[in-house]
Amino acid sequence: MGKILNIQPVTRIEGHARITVHLDESGNVEDARMNLMSLRGFEKFIEGRPAEEVPRIVNRICGICPWMHHLASNKAVDGCFDVTPTPTGHKLRELLQVMAHINDKILHFFFLAAPDFVLGPDSDYSVRNVIGVVKAAPELATQVVKMRQLGQMMLDRFAGKAIHPIAAVTGGFSKPMREAERVELLKDTQTLLDFSLFALDFAKNNVFSKYLDVISELGVIKTGFLGTVDRADGSFRIYDGKQRLMKADGSYVDFEGVDYLDYLGEHVESWSYGKMPYAKSWNEGFSMDLSEPKGIYRANTLARINVCDQMATPKAQEALEEFRAAFGRPAQATLLYHYARLIELIYACERTIELLNWEGITDTDVRAKVTPQAGRGVGVLEAPRGTLIHDYTTDANGCIESANLIVGTTHNIGPMNMSVKQAATALIKDGVYDQGILNKVEMAVRAYDP
Amino acid sequence: MSDEKIRLNTDWLCDCGGCHVALVDLHEKILQVLDSVEIQHCPVLTDVKDYPPARIGILTGSVRTEHDRHAALVMREKCEIIIAFGTCAVYGGLHGAGLAHSREEIMEHVYRRSPTTKTDTIPDAEVSELAKMVTPIDEVIDVDLYLPGCPPHPHFIFESLASLIEGREPRVTQDSVCGRCKRQMIKGDAREIRNTLDEVPDERFCFLSQGHICLGSATLDRCLAPCPNHGIACTGCAGPTMQILTEPYLDIRTEVSDRMARLTAIDEDIIKTYMEKTAKTQYAYAMATKMIGNKPTFLIKKWIADVEGQINE
Ligand code: SF4
Ligand code: SF4
Ligand code: SF4
Repeated sequence: MGKILNIQPVTRIEGHARITVHLDESGNVEDARMNLMSLRGFEKFIEGRPAEEVPRIVNRICGICPWMHHLASNKAVDGCFDVTPTPTGHKLRELLQVMAHINDKILHFFFLAAPDFVLGPDSDYSVRNVIGVVKAAPELATQVVKMRQLGQMMLDRFAGKAIHPIAAVTGGFSKPMREAERVELLKDTQTLLDFSLFALDFAKNNVFSKYLDVISELGVIKTGFLGTVDRADGSFRIYDGKQRLMKADGSYVDFEGVDYLDYLGEHVESWSYGKMPYAKSWNEGFSMDLSEPKGIYRANTLARINVCDQMATPKAQEALEEFRAAFGRPAQATLLYHYARLIELIYACERTIELLNWEGITDTDVRAKVTPQAGRGVGVLEAPRGTLIHDYTTDANGCIESANLIVGTTHNIGPMNMSVKQAATALIKDGVYDQGILNKVEMAVRAYDP
Repeated sequence: MSDEKIRLNTDWLCDCGGCHVALVDLHEKILQVLDSVEIQHCPVLTDVKDYPPARIGILTGSVRTEHDRHAALVMREKCEIIIAFGTCAVYGGLHGAGLAHSREEIMEHVYRRSPTTKTDTIPDAEVSELAKMVTPIDEVIDVDLYLPGCPPHPHFIFESLASLIEGREPRVTQDSVCGRCKRQMIKGDAREIRNTLDEVPDERFCFLSQGHICLGSATLDRCLAPCPNHGIACTGCAGPTMQILTEPYLDIRTEVSDRMARLTAIDEDIIKTYMEKTAKTQYAYAMATKMIGNKPTFLIKKWIADVEGQINE
């Protein structure tokens, strides 16, 4: 009889998951899966509610990136009511989104992923965590904690609530930005930009160079990619743009978010609550076969870095050039998600500064007039974990009639399963495994930051 | 030195993860907490997969699956003090709206009816089955301390941890959100209920005075009132105040409609009826708790059925 290994819970990730590895009689991997353990059903809860209330409710889908749901939802409601936010309202929303990306990346890279690299993937599980990092590298840790605090405080001060925000409203934003706030935010963002440049340097010297072999092997699979790019010039964008769906060979199609139903489908397996999106428009169906996957694409940092033609800000562009020179386009190695995450961190800081320097940012005209009506709206943006889609239909009273959501993380469920299987198959042989090996299997998941 | 540290386990049940992020966001204070606390099981931060014995156990989220139930029971067994942390843990939270929809309805919608889903499969293998209801954790295990909030503000988190570490009573008040709100309650002349789409209310005055529903007076302050202080009415995400919970005939809608009627020219019954019609919103966070669900005045299922009946007619 074979044997089943359970890794539960998968730790230092942001969701509820378990990995099951099925071993055959001789102790080799027959199959390995990641099961998502939870379902809440927000699509259903929001039915019948006045659409303008929904952006506050859907935050609770995810406390790690509530800003993304808040804003995608606001975009969708704008669409239903056929309203275009005022230019300042639009830019304030983008500003908050990009700022939230900064915090998220600091949290993920340093609090969740770094222990594997700073302390090593084989280090003892009892110290392999952020507290261990605090002990091993106290100065770095203090700095990181400060930066995360700065980022959260910036959101808190300006927008009231960093977790489960309330500040964006249908048609724009709830309040204008004062000049004093702008100046303060600008100063703080400069500090964060300096830190993000340091972070990339630190990681290049201490992580990516040191673990190059792990990076080029662990969890590596070959897939397509989905992200958002500038409508005009194909530059990297996270708040607004067109969607780009790239095949593993680098060819791509661009489409508008509102047409997502023509390009994406979702597959369900009996063993996971997580649905698995796939590229329906490739007309090849869905398969997670390692040597011949079908319909599989990835989202999140590496995907965005792969699909864009260039970064829209200078320092991030420099980093991208170096990255592409080393790993090509599209880069496939799963652990490069971490590298891409730090390039995005730089972009997010630079973009925040650009937005704060935009002349209209302190205008008081933050909100367009809104009239509830029947309609459909699709709100799309790049959440840290991937392209987020909120699709609502409203009735004549402006209440939600139906809703469909594709949450960022889910794009990567198929690929994560493949990476888990790849890693487990490569690492577990003849029934031999230890705690370090199982942690490496988890690292294949952690890179995707689910 | 290290054996003097207070040992802490945390776990998340069915939730959004925000409460755990709020814990991490004690920021510099987390470094201070780490001086006296040893964090053991804490899925977001550590790789400790089992549940070592601990003095303090923090549980976030509500009970939705067998897996959640099991985790709650093990935590109770291993921890001396259990804190129900966050509105989900204390009251069931937003997905307590599961109460208004059956599990079958939700599964059917998500896995069969959604326009993107191309398969006809409902997950039923290797996943922990969804319970019929969303349950606050104190209906499954005994709870020692309650810290609602969605998520609770770090101010309260730190105070509760500090008091436990120092072995004293936490210094927290039972005030409502109004206590921290800078808006002034005045008698206004609003004649009808308005909403955020109609106008941007004057930031100096209470929402109620201007004819906007705000749940601040019925909501316990565990957040420092960020919403009304940033232009948005309170929707009660920290759950009801003690008065509302303990007084059988007092309820979120009776409290708010009474107060709003005094502050405007709108009839109390009109406000009450409006709040019943929008019950899914007004009771969004605390629906699943028996403390609300068993009140003689609480008929949420009927109110929702009434509204949906009208829509279908
Ligand atoms: S109480 Fe709020 S923040 Fe905490 S887990 Fe529940 S939904 Fe998330
Ligand atoms: S009801 Fe709302 S606006 Fe009025 S004082 Fe209370 S919290 Fe502030
Ligand atoms: S909705 Fe009310 S309880 Fe929730 S954070 Fe805002 S003010 Fe506090």
